Amino acid sequence: MPALREVQDLFKEALLGEPAPALVDLVEGDGLDPRARLAVYRHHVFTTLTATLEAAFPVVCRLVDRRFFAYVADAFIRQHPPAGPCLDEYGAAFPEFLGAFEACQRLPYLPDVARLEWAIHRAAEAPDVAPLDPTQLGTVAPADMARLQFTPRAGLAYLVSAWPVDRIWRAHQEQSEPMPDLGAGRTCLEISPSGEGVHLRSLDPANLAFRKALADEMTLGEAADKASCQDPDLDLSGLIRGLLSDNVFSSFTIAAEDGA
Amino acid sequence: MANAAALASLQQVRRAYPVSLHGVGLSLGSAGSLDRRHLERLARLVENIEPCLVSEHLSWSATAGAYLNHLLPLPYTEETLRVVAEHVDQVQERLGRRLLVENPSSYLRFRHSIIPEAEFLGELVRRTGCGLLCDVNNVCVSAWNVGLDAQAYLDALPAGAVSEIHLAGHAVNDADGLTILIDDHGSPVPPAVWRLYRKALERFGPVPTLIEWDTDLPELDVLLGEAHKADEIIADVPQRQGHARAA
Repeated sequence: MPALREVQDLFKEALLGEPAPALVDLVEGDGLDPRARLAVYRHHVFTTLTATLEAAFPVVCRLVDRRFFAYVADAFIRQHPPAGPCLDEYGAAFPEFLGAFEACQRLPYLPDVARLEWAIHRAAEAPDVAPLDPTQLGTVAPADMARLQFTPRAGLAYLVSAWPVDRIWRAHQEQSEPMPDLGAGRTCLEISPSGEGVHLRSLDPANLAFRKALADEMTLGEAADKASCQDPDLDLSGLIRGLLSDNVFSSFTIAAEDGA
Repeated sequence: MANAAALASLQQVRRAYPVSLHGVGLSLGSAGSLDRRHLERLARLVENIEPCLVSEHLSWSATAGAYLNHLLPLPYTEETLRVVAEHVDQVQERLGRRLLVENPSSYLRFRHSIIPEAEFLGELVRRTGCGLLCDVNNVCVSAWNVGLDAQAYLDALPAGAVSEIHLAGHAVNDADGLTILIDDHGSPVPPAVWRLYRKALERFGPVPTLIEWDTDLPELDVLLGEAHKADEIIADVPQRQGHARAA
């Protein structure tokens, strides 16, 4: 009698690929080819996962049409089945997959549109947390300011793309704007949870470098250095004011001094 | 459940009604260990919502690092019984409460299954003290698909352990010329399921009943009509225990 683990591993192979003869032999036909019985389960797995991906990547789906999307999704699901039971978390690897998928090469902006949609999806699912209280910063000694470290709100993401992905995304919403000129240049975006929705914010390259460094848990001093590389005439206090009014960080600490 | 808006809605419902939490992600039948992270998430939700009932399925979904989002069938063997009982014990210990385990809808059976499903559930109850959720539509669907006797199945379940009933519609599909019933929660409860529901109530008493309809959602009136129909049947079956209502 096969061990349970062996049956389950064979079943997984059958759902994501073809049923092995060893599994077919274990299934009672009851008037049907056992493969047809296994296909009932496979159909459900692929239908629901394709719908899950469609819900997370609706603009990608509209850009390539539903039938092609289902074709790409099928290949993705076989190679990258979910790793956990929360389907809200399924699809993180899809943008990368699209970038490598031969049949998508004619739409070079597609992976970045998918990255934007994934960031929006994650921001929408992020738990609500109280934003940072700016008055708390008043208690920080001036000598400690450069060592401030901020905690990003869950769901905060940054995206730099060679394509106008935010405008491509907006061109496929209900109140759609026209499709932008694809040569419009680089886009720097911040995607953040906002109340019950998601906020998309265009940032200039210095501001993006600044906020992304902070989100990566660098200190304020290190983030200011990153931003200065993009813009030597940086208005640092302006960047900090903007950071606080946009509510993208939830708390702060003061890092230990260098060498400590 | 990370989504703040969804959690707020559930809390709002909870303020007005008792809530029964029904899980699909624990994979009680996996040969490997339970997903601790998922169990912790469930435990936090249970603490937050304080549901009247918590249930999961007699099935598996996870193996070798992959989570296959379906309630997959188990061979009913001594090994499986040991695995499921151990996982039910772990869940009940972490949640500090009794778990209800639901009978699955089956589209195949394994040749090496040696314990009839209803007896398997009965033995699980005996070993772990868990309760049962009897999905009457699943009994109907499995009876057709893999040749069970629906009435004998109900008779073999330990009546005192059944604490919730599910009802639903199913799709009638053709597979290579043979009819297969698919538990798709997308249509009215069909007459055969209503008939079996009456028999289930006669055996289990008036336990809380849920109409499962979560694909192709109809107007609210249609859903309320289904719940009302269940209420009428509950009222019509001779009462053996306290009152329960369908929702």
